Amino acid sequence: MSPPTLQPQRESAVDERADEQIDPDRPWVTVVWNDPVNLMSYVTHVFMKVFGYPKDKATALMLDVHHKGRAVVSCGPRERMEGDTATLHGYGLWATIQRDS
Amino acid sequence: MKVRRKHGVLRVDLHATEAALFTVLFTDLSALLVEEDAEDPVIQRLYPDGYADDAAASSEYRELVTSDLRDERAGRLQACWAEVPADGGRFELDDEGGDRWIKVLNDLRLALGTRLGVTETEELDESEQSVAVYQWLTAVQDMLVTHLMD
Repeated sequence: MSPPTLQPQRESAVDERADEQIDPDRPWVTVVWNDPVNLMSYVTHVFMKVFGYPKDKATALMLDVHHKGRAVVSCGPRERMEGDTATLHGYGLWATIQRDS
Repeated sequence: MKVRRKHGVLRVDLHATEAALFTVLFTDLSALLVEEDAEDPVIQRLYPDGYADDAAASSEYRELVTSDLRDERAGRLQACWAEVPADGGRFELDDEGGDRWIKVLNDLRLALGTRLGVTETEELDESEQSVAVYQWLTAVQDMLVTHLMD
């Protein structure tokens, strides 16, 4: 027996989009994941080339990917993160977009 | 294969056997890219999801970027292929050319590495010919990257 209520559907609809309604400006991030094929030197080079990061920052990010399994490599609006991810996919890196957590 | 960098230019010397090997590898990769079998783990690795846990967003991302990625991947493969001297020999690359080559070498390594089931922990069987090719590609890519980062 279902409880009498006037607004079950409306509630679930609000829940689904709750994040965006509360904070529409919350930035997005591009995450690079560890991969058994991509070389450490190559990944460092890609971070320098794509983001213009200096070698020490690019190396630190590469080591994060290698040791922690993932690293956030850029953040900003969703469209820009999709562009960054597409560029990284062009280099064969395993990258994804997600909301900043 | 030897690589030297002089006045910002990469000079690459290829043996005839290496040139022949590149021709075989480029032919294979080219066929695989044209066929683009969505069930093929190599294609799945070359065109990954844009979102780890959002199938709908990943699908939209694919529609947005895959056509450009596909064109770029095929174009750079053809450009590198055209540079390989048929009987071995020397060719020169500027930084952009070097960047293009390491991307194509990475595509080859991702394809072969996926076929071989490369992992971080397990040793590869070095007596296998495809493993030797994979390791040669790794050495060549690392050499070019090192020169490009200098």
